Amino acid sequence: MKILTRIKNILVPLSFGVVFLLLWEGAVRVFDLKPYFLAAPSKIFEQFTKNTSRIWDATSVSGTNALVGLIIGTILGIAMSFVLSRFSFLNQLITPLAISLNAIPIFVLVAVLNNMYSITSEIPRRFMVTLVVYFIVLVNVAKGLTQVRSTHVELMHSYAASDIEILRKVRVPNAVPYLFTALKVAAPASVITAFVSEYFGGLQNGLGSRITSNIANSKNAAAWAYVLGACLLGLAFYTVSIILEKITRKGETK
Amino acid sequence: MSAVEVIGASKIFNQGKTQQVDALVDVNLTVDQGEFVSLIGPSGCGKSTLLRLIANLLEPTGGSLMVNNKTVSQARLDQDYGMAFQQAGLFDWRTVSKNIELPLELKGWDKEKRSARAAEMLELVKLPEFADLYPWQLSGGMQQRIAIARALAAHPPLLLMDEPFGALDEMTREYMQGELLRICGETATTVVFVTHSIPEAVYLSNRVVVMSPRPGRITSVIDVDLGAKRNEDTRAADGFFRNITAVREALRGTQADHASANAIRGLEDR
Repeated sequence: MKILTRIKNILVPLSFGVVFLLLWEGAVRVFDLKPYFLAAPSKIFEQFTKNTSRIWDATSVSGTNALVGLIIGTILGIAMSFVLSRFSFLNQLITPLAISLNAIPIFVLVAVLNNMYSITSEIPRRFMVTLVVYFIVLVNVAKGLTQVRSTHVELMHSYAASDIEILRKVRVPNAVPYLFTALKVAAPASVITAFVSEYFGGLQNGLGSRITSNIANSKNAAAWAYVLGACLLGLAFYTVSIILEKITRKGETK
Repeated sequence: MSAVEVIGASKIFNQGKTQQVDALVDVNLTVDQGEFVSLIGPSGCGKSTLLRLIANLLEPTGGSLMVNNKTVSQARLDQDYGMAFQQAGLFDWRTVSKNIELPLELKGWDKEKRSARAAEMLELVKLPEFADLYPWQLSGGMQQRIAIARALAAHPPLLLMDEPFGALDEMTREYMQGELLRICGETATTVVFVTHSIPEAVYLSNRVVVMSPRPGRITSVIDVDLGAKRNEDTRAADGFFRNITAVREALRGTQADHASANAIRGLEDR
């Protein structure tokens, strides 16, 4: 029975995807849609296979930017959340700053950062990803470190446990699921940010810039092939974050 | 030597401010070794506050408290007591036996000694086959038994319990009461037990301490003359009902105070 439901879980979405692609292909052929309006899946796939190595190069550029930003942002976010949970008065200083920074549209910052660094630098994009990931991780992990059950804290006090022991044995384990919730949101967000950052100048080597240049040259099918690459990249990041969560969780699913 | 000694203890929250609450005023109580004492009274009578003063989780604003002839802060540092709450408060990320080992970890015991003691405690609460499960895989009653095992893991001479069976259904509750008496009898543990339930207090206790609110204080102490051995037959015995009536009448006094205090202030808060 278990295997049956597992097959069903894979088969249903898969067949839906196939039907969707067939409808798309059919619509393009039946209504004779022009390639500049909507490219057929078969054409997109053809472009994808023809340009695999170029798409791979562009994907690895955007992917590296996303990954570097994701890692640095996560580390900084975790570090800051420890500081915040230790000194609660900082919370009142940092939170308004975090909110106002988050309220600035990404492209404004990228444009400014592009001016600060040389035009051939990847730093502005990585910095943008870092910033986006940092706040997602900070908010969630800080919540995990501070919102511990009062019974647990009283219990630890009754054992005469020090603050460090309470941190190690209560706060940190409590924050672990919060970290993975943050990563599940931050991983796709890092890809999107890396991708969108490329629209505002700088090196023309990533997925985002390839899509704009292909559309500018009316090569719609090729642009869609790069979109497919972006899709796969986002999925890969999300999958890795879920696998990491499964490994660390030790069967404590509710 | 008495297990717990409370001498003229007071606890005032928000002292000097408009929201000042006299949670406890001039409380005196002595609990002997091996005795089972329940604290009972309406909400706001300070029974949980008194338990937390004994546990040194709160500092008294006046008076003094001793556990095993030590100051309560020293007793806490020495882990001279175990504690159990209404919520079992087990850690979801630890297995059952790792939960029981927690106080021993904090005492710096080595791994083998810890797991041997955890196994011994699981035998005591009759759940040895659940050692490697996680708390959420257990029923509420089982979780509470694990919490008791954890509280007693370091073999403390004193057990402090704050409505530990309050969230359990009636049948589980009666079973747990029997188990608690058996466990404390086998380990010769002194217990101070906070409860809302009159039958629970009478069934478990050698003495029932009746408390009343505004300000929180002890109004009477009732000796329960049901003997040392208690079992399911105790619940049907005449003496059981006589003692329940005695506690109920003592409590009714506190409720009358409560009502008149409200009448004077022209308040209706309940």
